[in-house]
Amino acid sequence: MWRVIARREFVERARDRGFLISTAITLLILVGIVVVSSALDRGTSFGLAIVGEGSREVAKDVTAAAAVVSIQIDVVDVEDAAAAERAVRDGAVDAALVDDERILVRADPPGQLVALIQAASIRGRSQAALLESGLSEEQIEAVLTQPPLPVEALEPVDEKRGELAAVAFVGVLALYGQLFAYGYWVAAGVVEEKSSRVVEVLLATVRPSELLRGKIFGIGLLGLAQLLLIAVIGLTASIAVGRLEFPSGALAVVGLVLFWFVLGFFFYASLFAVAGSIVTRQEDLQSTMSPLTILIVGSFFIGISATSDPSSTLATVASVLPFSAPLVMPTRVVLGEASTWEVLLSIAISVATTAALIPLATKVYSRALLQPGRVRIRQILRQRA
Amino acid sequence: MLELRGLTRRFENVVALDDVSFTIPDGRMVGLVGPNGAGKTTAMRIVLGVLRADAGEVRWRDREVDAETRRRFGYMPEERGLYPKMRVLDQLVYLARLHGLGREDARAQASRMVEVLGVSDRIRDKTENLSLGNQQRVQLAAALVHRPEVLVLDEPFSGLDPVGVDVLSGVLREQADAGVPVVFSSHQLDLVERLCQSVVLIDRGRVVANGRISELRAADPRRLLRVEVAGGNDGWLDALSGVRVLERLPDGAIVELEDGVREMDLLDAARAAGPVRHFSVVQPSLSEIFRRAVAR
Repeated sequence: MWRVIARREFVERARDRGFLISTAITLLILVGIVVVSSALDRGTSFGLAIVGEGSREVAKDVTAAAAVVSIQIDVVDVEDAAAAERAVRDGAVDAALVDDERILVRADPPGQLVALIQAASIRGRSQAALLESGLSEEQIEAVLTQPPLPVEALEPVDEKRGELAAVAFVGVLALYGQLFAYGYWVAAGVVEEKSSRVVEVLLATVRPSELLRGKIFGIGLLGLAQLLLIAVIGLTASIAVGRLEFPSGALAVVGLVLFWFVLGFFFYASLFAVAGSIVTRQEDLQSTMSPLTILIVGSFFIGISATSDPSSTLATVASVLPFSAPLVMPTRVVLGEASTWEVLLSIAISVATTAALIPLATKVYSRALLQPGRVRIRQILRQRA
Repeated sequence: MLELRGLTRRFENVVALDDVSFTIPDGRMVGLVGPNGAGKTTAMRIVLGVLRADAGEVRWRDREVDAETRRRFGYMPEERGLYPKMRVLDQLVYLARLHGLGREDARAQASRMVEVLGVSDRIRDKTENLSLGNQQRVQLAAALVHRPEVLVLDEPFSGLDPVGVDVLSGVLREQADAGVPVVFSSHQLDLVERLCQSVVLIDRGRVVANGRISELRAADPRRLLRVEVAGGNDGWLDALSGVRVLERLPDGAIVELEDGVREMDLLDAARAAGPVRHFSVVQPSLSEIFRRAVAR
């Protein structure tokens, strides 16, 4: 019977216009962010205006040197110094080199560009000076062409880590959003049944436990489906625009997020159902939900901090507590900071707590359903059915 | 036959039901009447399993009812309730499914019920957008959609206009004629009198009268008379000793004669007061039986 109930919860919400629109907007924003961020990340580029033959040679060297450090230089040949000055003033270019004699910039010189021009110019003028002193071209070349100094990193560089932390951040955001929104839906759904009094019609045919199970499964499944849709679209878009260099890492994040959504949802949904069952009006729901709100929001902030510091004591402890684990553990796993036993312990605690919570929540829910007004949980646990 | 045996239920310190027993035979329509707070709703909720009894049992076809049996009962709670945002037809199909009907059967039954109750042009509308009268019809459809074996309706007539009352009466009549035991509570006693062969009268959690209305009438030992005198002034009645006015009418009253007062004495007094338009022995109405039974 709970399947029939779950089906209603799923279908009625999934075809709600508000739900469809908000899902579409979420997806649009997601794709928009991926596309825009990849466009912005095309690397640094500068515009350089040049005047005179000497400047052209220097510009060649600047462009070549810039390419080595992934900077793109767009060189514009202009008529004279006045034209160069106009281009700089207008912001059409970032700097101008006039006759290899002076560099024009606006108020704030772009440091990297100026340094590149200076280096190229000095090299050119040194070359000319050496040529004048009678050295052969080979000798000059030998003197001027020196290998760059080697750079020694004192700590190993993990190129993946930055990207994984970013993906984990998105994962925490998505988990937080889903747990909160769908938990709230469970609570609001319970209140709707109470306030519309349809609950008495329902209780004449199904047990309260079935009603609760159907509601949690139906809404949870919808949350999972939406999360999956967001993940698929987000990943596809990222790969399509070449934003992701390590799709396997991102895939792991998606798997972890879905897994922890399920664990976290059962935990939070049973609490949200209780919060809903002890009030009769939607207006009163905010107050009974507030302890849960604090729990979720607090866990969310710990989860966010874990993406930058996954081995802090706070993150480590939070990753095994049942209410915060769903928002913290995935990040620690992805960043390789959680040991296997920590993960297993965390899952075990989560499952055990939820398993203990559900009968208790069902008890309160069952007894509170037919009581009007604001019901006290302690009182409910004491009384007979 | 639906049977309530010795139902008892306490809330905190209030005894809502105290050893309540009565039966509703197949095909019989029974009115459950009693003052507010008498325990009618509690009794119905226990029959449907929405509440548990502290003692006693509910039996259907000689077996104690369980959750499986109750799913074949039809119920209309006093506090009407439907999903406000759900479309009418979807709602009925869903409730039919909850009562154990298969998907196709549920659809067919839901379509049939909206037809019978005259709301078939609103099936795609959200329930909250229907008028209260139409919502009530949908509520009744919800109670009937799964071809219930037993019908329990808490105040089904309240809030209905005369046309709605006729539609509902007709539907209930049909159900009873098809062999379904029907029990409903109501404060509209004239309606109960018209529709039901039997009534159960509950007061303060106890059954105080139970049986066919004709039998209850016959069991009432009071001598009741209806007397009307042209002129509209019934001050003469108040002056008469041994005569109790039960109900005032525009030109007279229904009165009860106490022991030792003869009908002749009343008629003489009436003739002295003016031209007598009406003078007859009357059967106690259900309202009269009710008032007498719950008099404290």
